This record gives sequence, C-alpha cells and structure tokens, in this order.
Amino acid sequence: MIEIVFLIPLATGALAFFLPRPSGRTLLTLTGAVHLVLSILLWVRQPEALFAEYFAITPEGLLSLLVISLLFFLISIYTTGYLEAANIRSERVFTGSMLVFLSTMTMVTLSDHIMVMWIAIEATTLASAPLIYTHRSAATLEATLKYVLICSVGIALALLGSVLIALSMDVGGVNAPVAFSALTVVAKRLDPLWLKAGFVFILVGYGTKMGLAPMHTWLPDAHSEAPSPASALLSGVLLNCAYLGIFKTNKIMHAAGLGHFSGTILIVFGLASILVAATFILKQTEYKRLLAYSSIENMGIIAFGTGVGGLGAYGAVLCLIHHSLIKSSLFLSSGNILLGYGSRLIENTGALARRMPRTFVAFFSGFAGISGFPPFGLFLGEVFIIIGAFRGGHYVGAGIFMLSLCVIFAGFANHVMRMSFSDAEAVDRIEEKSTMVWPQYVLLLTSLVLSFWVPESLYETIVHAVNSIGGGL
Amino acid sequence: MIRPVDTILALVLLSVLISFGSSRLPALIKVVAFQGVVVSIVPFFIGHGLTFGGVVFTLVTLVIRGIAIPMFIYLAIKKTAIHREVEPIVGYHASLMAGLALMVAATFVSPKFNLPQSAGNALLLPTAITLLAAGMFLLMARRNAIAMVLGYIVMENGIYLVGTGFSVRTHHIVEFGILLDVLAGVMIMAVILQNINQAFDDVDTALLRSLKE
Repeated sequence: MIEIVFLIPLATGALAFFLPRPSGRTLLTLTGAVHLVLSILLWVRQPEALFAEYFAITPEGLLSLLVISLLFFLISIYTTGYLEAANIRSERVFTGSMLVFLSTMTMVTLSDHIMVMWIAIEATTLASAPLIYTHRSAATLEATLKYVLICSVGIALALLGSVLIALSMDVGGVNAPVAFSALTVVAKRLDPLWLKAGFVFILVGYGTKMGLAPMHTWLPDAHSEAPSPASALLSGVLLNCAYLGIFKTNKIMHAAGLGHFSGTILIVFGLASILVAATFILKQTEYKRLLAYSSIENMGIIAFGTGVGGLGAYGAVLCLIHHSLIKSSLFLSSGNILLGYGSRLIENTGALARRMPRTFVAFFSGFAGISGFPPFGLFLGEVFIIIGAFRGGHYVGAGIFMLSLCVIFAGFANHVMRMSFSDAEAVDRIEEKSTMVWPQYVLLLTSLVLSFWVPESLYETIVHAVNSIGGGL
Repeated sequence: MIRPVDTILALVLLSVLISFGSSRLPALIKVVAFQGVVVSIVPFFIGHGLTFGGVVFTLVTLVIRGIAIPMFIYLAIKKTAIHREVEPIVGYHASLMAGLALMVAATFVSPKFNLPQSAGNALLLPTAITLLAAGMFLLMARRNAIAMVLGYIVMENGIYLVGTGFSVRTHHIVEFGILLDVLAGVMIMAVILQNINQAFDDVDTALLRSLKE
C-alpha cells in the first residue's frame, strides 16, 4: 500500500481549502509529520504497491521521497511562522495547494509507469501555480503565466517523448508493460532510433521543468515571485522531481547500451546551464533571483555529473541531496530578510550580521555550503564530478565547469558580502522568530552531518541507484 | 479511392493554414475548435478495432476538445474586454508561407521514419508533425497571450495524433493524460488571463516585460 503516502496529503489538501486559518496551519504541519513518518516506514519496510502496474519503489525514488518529506516537514514549521508574519489574503488556497503539491511530488517519486510519471509531473505544475500567484500582483501574474505556459509546453514535449518510447516498443516488437522498470529489463530489444528520439524529447521536456538552459527562463521569475516557503519547495524538491524523470529514462538508455549518446547530451545541457548561471549571477540585483540562478547552476552541475558517469554520477546524486537541503534553507532565510527589510533588492539590504544575527548565521553558512566549501557535501559532490570528468576524458568540459564555478563563486560572494556587512542606514535589531530560524539550522546541520557520516542503508541506496546509470565509486 | 481518414487529415492541414491567417481571436478560437473536433474523430477511421470504452473515450475527448475548451476561452475573452487582435510578430502572409513550408518539410521528413503503420495512413505522420510545429509557431509568432494558449492546444492536438495514431499500447492513457493536461492547464491559463486583464487592461504579453534577467 505505498499509494497511501500520496493519498493522505491529497485528502488533507482538499480539506485545507475549507478550514479556517489556524486549523489549516496545524493541518499543514501535522500532514508534514505524518508524511515523514510514512516515508521512513516506506524506506524501512519497502512494501509492495497496490497498483503494481503503475507504482513501484525504486532506490532513486526512495532517495527523493525522503528528501521531499524531510524538507516539507521543516518548511511547514517555517510556514506557520511565515503566515503569521506575512499577511496573505488567500491563505486557505496557499495551504491547500502546498499539500496537494506535496501529494503530486510524492506521486512522481513512486510512479513507475511512464505515463503516470508524466501525469504526476504535469500535476506538480498545476498544483504549484497557485503558490506562485499568492501575492496577486501584476508581477506574480506574469511569473505564473510564464511558468504555466513554458512548463506546459515543455511537458507536452515530454509526453511526445514518452509516446515515442512506447513506439520504440511497437517497432522493436517488444511486449512488456510501458513501465520504467520493465523497459529497463527489455531495453536491448527496443528500437534504438525511436528510443533516442524519445530520450531527446523527454530531456528537453523534463529539462524545462528542471531549469536546464536554454529552457530555464521561467525559473528566476517563478522562484523570486513566489512566497519564500513556496520558493524553497520549488527549488529544493520540484527540480529534483523533474530530474527523476530524466534519470529513469537515462537508466533505460544505459540498459540499451546507448549511455554514450544520452551522456553527451546531458553534458551539453549541463554546461550550458552553468554558463548561463555564471553570466547572470555576476550582475544580479535581487537576492531571490540570485538564489534562483544558483539553482540553475546546480541543476547544470547535476546534469553534467550524470552525463559524465562513473564517479561523476555518484557526485551528481550527492549534489542533488545537498543542494536540496542547503538551497531550501537559503530560500527560507531569504524570506526572513524580505520580511525584515521589505525589499527584494540587494542594495536595500545591508548590515545583516548586526541587524538579523540569527538569520545571518543561516544565510551565510548556506552561502558557504552552496558555493562548495569543504565542510558541506556539495564540495565532495563537485570534486567527484571533476575527477569523474577527467577520468572520462572530458578535459574541455571539466575546464569550463571549474572556470564557471569560480566565476559564480566570485559573483555570489560579492553580493552576499554586501548584504551581510555593508553599512545600512538603520542599525537596530530586527525581530526574528525562532520557528523561522531553526528549520534552516536543522537543514544545514543535516547536510553537514551527511557530509561526514552517511548511514549504511543510505549509502547502499545511492550506490544502487547510481549503478544503473553507469556510475559507481 | 479516397479514404475517409485522408479527407479528415486534409481538413486538419487546412485548419492549420486558416489559423495562421486569422487575425481576430474569435476566428482563431473557432478554427482551433474545428481542428479539435476533426482530430478527435481520427481514431474512428484508422482501424484499430475500437472497443465500447474506446468509443466513449473518443466521444468525451471530442466534447472537451471541440466544445468545452473553446467555449471556455471564448467566454473568458468575452467577459473581459480583451484585445481582439492576435498581434503577430510574423505577418499573416509570411505566416501562411511558413505554414506551407512546414507541410512540405513534414511530408519530406516523414518517410525517413521507418514506421510499421505509416504504409496505410500516408498522411498521418506528416499531419502530426505539422501540427506540432504549427503550435510552436503560434506560440512564438503571436504576441497575444490567448493566441499563445491556442498555439499550445494545437501542439497538444499533434501529440494526440501521434499517440492515438501509432501506438496502440498507450492509446487510452495518452488520451487520458492529454485530456487532463489540456483541461486543467487551459483552465488555469484562462483564470490567470482574466486576472491579468484586471491588472493590466490588456493581455498583450509585450506589455508584460517587467520581469527579465
């Protein structure tokens, strides 16, 4: 009965649309807690699915599910504080959409059938659109329309890709369920031409949702216009869900012996994303857009690592986990800064270290983590990817990769230093609620702990997932 | 002998050309509605041996695609005094030429794919490719946000043709997925458009340029 994990948030989400504000907030946190417990149970017990044709437990799905669940629980705690501080008119729609969004993302991690996966990813777009539109201003409208239109077109291409993969079965004369697990088994007999075409469309389609350049244009708008808890969810877990679709298709490609083809395309898209991020981070004026471009950079890193394979693929999964933890904490901290200073512009902030010391600690260590400083896991992941790239003979790619990371670090550091230490007109302390600070600390601490000590079962799950796309230590 | 499916697909191609030449939104909506109806009945004429469930599903698709969605969009623009011009970036004559070029290219490319069933339905793949490209074209070459949504629907029509025409295996789930997609996606887009209208008095996306970089 693994389906219960996404049915519960769906039900409570529907309920939340009708509940008064305080009980809606309680329901949000409560569902987050129940979801976390269920996800851990799923991890330990690994039960069978009721509809085994459509849903299945896979190592990569479990990893994403656990990250989603932990993040959502912590973000829901932050959200209760945020909703009190920020005056949101349509709060019931906000909490309800958050829960439905959680449900759809959980469905993505558990789906095995190609079409169910596609429906679930499309559902994440529709469920998250009201979240971006929460503030009801002209700018949020534009961001929402851009998000829905660009992602829908992208996802329509992914649908075409899914249909083409089904077509590769017809042409190859294979009779099997149209599910990722079944297709990986019979991959060698699929028609390679249609399989390749299917992969390209799926990569472009889900890549749009994942924020790979040049299809990333919706991402900075959506992430900066959404309320901060929603931005944290969008950046921390939604991008991972889209990546999961690419990951699973890549698995079929590797099983079919076409890993080189898919790897090359992933490397190109990955490097393009990192380069775009490097260009735009340098002259950014808003801190939430800065974080959004950093997400594009990290998705590029992950795509590059997956394409490189070997040690790089292992590094990519590490980056995926740590990026989620660190970036969501950064977005939550940016919510505190926005509430405190009342402006999204970097130039209107300043003296963060003196005015909001507790947020400053979270924001600055988050910055250190996301830039790949040694105690945090992204450092390990990126080093693995670079080693993997050199081992695979991608010298030019590795060169561009390292150079761009340096540029991004320089740009990011410049902005963060200005926000943290520059002189501000006012120097008085801004009040910080503890429920809006410690979720970030927990997220960063989790990332820190995972950098030094990885539980045995987690390590095995990662290695198991990575092996199927030609990776390993 | 002319087979009915070829006639239907020719009508689809014609609707693409008309949509490229339409300058007013109501006309464009009508063309897309017509296209939705015609595309939906294709499964009746390519002998996959329809079951009772299949017939019902196809009819539901027809109602939603050909009637419900166009009505919804039509009401959305009627209620709010939205600009009726599609505001082309590429002019109408150039668009028509591009449409013809698309069809020629699609016909030229299609035989290169070694499809098992394309022998029977020579027009099916070229039409599907044309629809996909035409949808993309409308998305890029029209500035009006509703025209862009209509372009998206045209693109979905193309995917529907690929899904139902070629792959027997994924038939129903493709239909279901597209229905869900179009229905929910278009509704949300229409709601947003109505709100944009209140905020800006215009759904011209050229005015929505405050967010960049």
